[in-house]
Amino acid sequence: MLWLVALFPLLAAVIVHASPMRNRATLGASGCGVLLVTLVLTVFAGLEGWVGRIAWSIPLQFEVALTTSSVVMALLVSVIALPVLAYAAVHERRRDLNRLVSLLLLFVGAMLLLVIAADLITLLIGWELVGACSWALIGHERQHASRAASARYAFVMTRLGDLGLFVAAMVAFSDRGTFAFAAIETLGAPQKTILVAGLLLSAASKSGQIPFAPWLFRAMDGPTSVSALLHSATMVAAGAYLLIRLEPTLAQVPWFGPAAICIGLGTALAGGLTAMLQPHAKKLLAASTSAHYGLMFVAVGAGYPAVALTHLVAHAFFKALLFLSAGVAGREADSFYLTKMGFGRVLPITASATAVGGFALAGIPPLGAAWTKEMVVTAAGHFSPWLAFVVMLAGALSAAYAMRFVYSAYGVAVNDTSATTRTTETIAISSLAAACLALSLYWLPGIQQTLGAWLATSFPTPPPWETIGSLLTVGFGLYTGLLIARKHPALGEDGPVSAYADWLGLPFAINRVVERPFSALTQHCATFDDAVIDGTVRRAGASGLFAARVAYRGLDRLADGLPEGVTRWLALSGEDSRRFQTGLSHHYLAFMAAGAVVLAIILFAGR
Amino acid sequence: MLTATILMPLLGAFALACTRLKEPTYRWLACSVGSVPLVLLVAVWIGFDTSTGASAFQYVVEYPWIPALGIGWRMGVDGIALTVATMSALLFVAAMAWPADTRGRAREYYAWFLFLEAVSLGVFLTLDLALFYVFFDLSLVGLFFLIGRWGHGDAERAAIKFFVYTFAGSLAILLAIIGLVLVTDPLTFDMRTLIADQPLAGMDLRATLVLAGFIIGFGIKTPFVPLHTWLPPAHVNAPGPASAVLAGVLLKMGTYGLIRIPYSMLGETFGRYAFALAVLAVISILWGALVSMAQRDLKRRIAYTSVNHMGYVLLGIAAAATIGGEQAARQMALTGATVEMVAHGLITGALFLICGALWQRTGDYNLEHYGGLSQIAPNLTRFTILASFASLGLPGLAGFVAELQIFVGAFSVYPWLAATALLGILITAALFLQMLQQLFFGALPTDRGDFRDLARVEIITLAILVLLIVIIGIYPNWLLTPINSATGLLTGGV
Repeated sequence: MLWLVALFPLLAAVIVHASPMRNRATLGASGCGVLLVTLVLTVFAGLEGWVGRIAWSIPLQFEVALTTSSVVMALLVSVIALPVLAYAAVHERRRDLNRLVSLLLLFVGAMLLLVIAADLITLLIGWELVGACSWALIGHERQHASRAASARYAFVMTRLGDLGLFVAAMVAFSDRGTFAFAAIETLGAPQKTILVAGLLLSAASKSGQIPFAPWLFRAMDGPTSVSALLHSATMVAAGAYLLIRLEPTLAQVPWFGPAAICIGLGTALAGGLTAMLQPHAKKLLAASTSAHYGLMFVAVGAGYPAVALTHLVAHAFFKALLFLSAGVAGREADSFYLTKMGFGRVLPITASATAVGGFALAGIPPLGAAWTKEMVVTAAGHFSPWLAFVVMLAGALSAAYAMRFVYSAYGVAVNDTSATTRTTETIAISSLAAACLALSLYWLPGIQQTLGAWLATSFPTPPPWETIGSLLTVGFGLYTGLLIARKHPALGEDGPVSAYADWLGLPFAINRVVERPFSALTQHCATFDDAVIDGTVRRAGASGLFAARVAYRGLDRLADGLPEGVTRWLALSGEDSRRFQTGLSHHYLAFMAAGAVVLAIILFAGR
Repeated sequence: MLTATILMPLLGAFALACTRLKEPTYRWLACSVGSVPLVLLVAVWIGFDTSTGASAFQYVVEYPWIPALGIGWRMGVDGIALTVATMSALLFVAAMAWPADTRGRAREYYAWFLFLEAVSLGVFLTLDLALFYVFFDLSLVGLFFLIGRWGHGDAERAAIKFFVYTFAGSLAILLAIIGLVLVTDPLTFDMRTLIADQPLAGMDLRATLVLAGFIIGFGIKTPFVPLHTWLPPAHVNAPGPASAVLAGVLLKMGTYGLIRIPYSMLGETFGRYAFALAVLAVISILWGALVSMAQRDLKRRIAYTSVNHMGYVLLGIAAAATIGGEQAARQMALTGATVEMVAHGLITGALFLICGALWQRTGDYNLEHYGGLSQIAPNLTRFTILASFASLGLPGLAGFVAELQIFVGAFSVYPWLAATALLGILITAALFLQMLQQLFFGALPTDRGDFRDLARVEIITLAILVLLIVIIGIYPNWLLTPINSATGLLTGGV
């Protein structure tokens, strides 16, 4: 029964694609209708405790089940997808809109499948389908070859991570004979080490962590609504979700915590710096996504998956919101460069909504996102006080680029010319902003207790010095961001900074260390294949012909003697060969007749 | 039933060769005669008993032919033969239905196709080693003419290379068969007896030599690296439907032969060399993918992915043969290998038919001369994307069901090799996406403005293949059940 939650949007996607719907309104309405039904199904599934199990064969059994975190995640996917899809139906270009809507539904369905998965293969299936959807969505505007190249970059880079999931599944089966999540708890120690390494690899690549982060930049070639969904609730969220879901198992391996913290914190700092230097609105947000998922990695690594989950939820709302408003500004400015924007005066509603999202991103109380970020600081502090300080630093960076984004895109600066926004866009953006505001309830102790009880955990209490330190660093970050936006609005567009703005040079390094050598390797292999492997065959053939010619010219005298020799040689192995001589003439006849028929066919038809 | 499966298309071929009709009539005649085996095999499938304790080979027919030599007309199927043969029959119908440029010689073209169908099915359905060899060789003859006479470019040369190279492999198989059979007493070519008796058990040198013969012969046919270089030219110059059959059906004879003969009849010796074969498999997987990635010629590219995919099959077989491996894992590897044969047949068959469509429209395989086709050929785009993703092993499509089982099964036996082989699916992802980008994305070259999208018959043919690929990807139980009934027995389970 639980399968329905994922199957419904998947099937609906196929139906929408096959349908003749081309009109914006009908496409948007039907897409949102599908998502609403999915949402209702998810609620039912959560309340009734639906489960599902099917088998392909005896060893290949698949099961789906819900835990508290998967219910939260499943609800989040549909809730975020709703405004994004409505926005897409009015915002994206008319051409191929039908395909875009059905792909978004497919994306949601695949994500839901991996959320409800209770075994490694179901997880892997959803995981890879999400990747394939992202390929189709990033390359959606097919007349641009560069978008297809970006889509390929994203798919290959994340598939590299998928191999980790393959390895995890392989290890689980070879040790326990099953893929179920329930069984991987009981793996032997060496197997568990490999499994955890595999899972961490997949999670890091999906969530855009170092060194995989550059694929998120390339993914910015996709339509804005795709970015909004991909960064908040699907695809990128899958990596962090996987860690949250399997944290109890992962934490049994002693090095998991430090490794996850290292990856997460490194990405949070590098991503923050990158975002601060980025003059391109969407790329700024993309780098920020990596950074915030880095914070979630830190929380899981420190042993607080519930903290990571609450931050994931808060991030989903404000990041979807910011992407959608960046899309509006980008269309009106006809460019995603921040210097071309500045619609504060002409689009006041969008601007205020963006401010809400931006302040959430910056971590300014009383917004909910500020509390979840505080929790990450405290969680890290429980691991080591120094870590709390580093997370605060990441928070300062976050405040800086958030300020830069809001001020440049929707400040009152340059762009006072006319700009318009469509009603549905405004509704989508405002409702996400309302959700961000509603999350302020996180701060209420009563809510925290209820939430903690529901997630079967208790949230850490921050010591006072941490709260004060956090607020100070956020203030400092905001000030820095304001300085950049006012004094150096074009920071990162050119000059030496622009090289760092591209993920601190990481894509360049990947190009030099992986892409180019690999390309050269394939060329060398192809040359070797042709010149040496096939060359040997050609030379063997040629020398055979040569030998035949020599034999024909010079050795025909020898040929006279040969038959006799052969007969003598054959006689030696007579014991075996005599058995073919059955002495029954009709057998010989049958043999000869068969041979003659075959020959006749060949001669007749081959003429 | 199985006899009719082979004789119907064979008689059809002769009948067709003796008539004078209009060209389209030949095509529909060939398709209808050619689909008889498909219908019969589906009926066999429905009646196939997969319960525990059911005999391995069912629908057995046996007529003595040369009793003194132990040769007979013996037919019968197990789960592996049944599934691979049914897939082959389907692919033959698809290839014959595919509109081809027969250059005014439709009669011969379709007659040869029916002939090839008959002998190819014979390879999978026979239970007699002598017949196996005869069918195996005759399939070369059939394809030789299809490539040589209806191919393009340097077709004759490619056809001769294909014929001589694979015929050399056939000779190795012939010697091996003789070496295997001569120790039986009384002399028999009955596969069931040979499997039950394991005639060479305990004879080290002879068994090794015989095994070497089979490995070389089937290795050329499959093909594994470094015996694969006949394949790309044969594909490039072959007409689309012949390519589809070559990749989809003829390559399977190599891996099917490995399972049916050395794996089953020389179990102990085969097991001893299983590790070496697994290494060879991983080399094929990686080499095929790497070389494919560098190809600018569409057909060469897909041809090399066949080397990669057949490497997966070999890895599954080698893992299954390993002595001492856990039975469940070995069975899974062998099941995966068989599913891969079926899946690769359908997927690569579809891809080569698509290549044929491109050639008919443009006469060009150079990827760099293409671009932007999605704007004017949406159906072609859709099918190619689906088939490519199936080939790169996307879940929900047939290739994944196969590769997952091969990897998981092989990992229990050879963890390092299986993990290394995983890189293959990464490289194939890159190369197929690059191919799609080159064909369908970007700007449409000015001289491609009159490119026609797929015609109805092409759409229907591809839709059937792709539909099966999707069904196997989502709900493969009906395929896995007969295969598992055979692989269970072959790996010593129940």
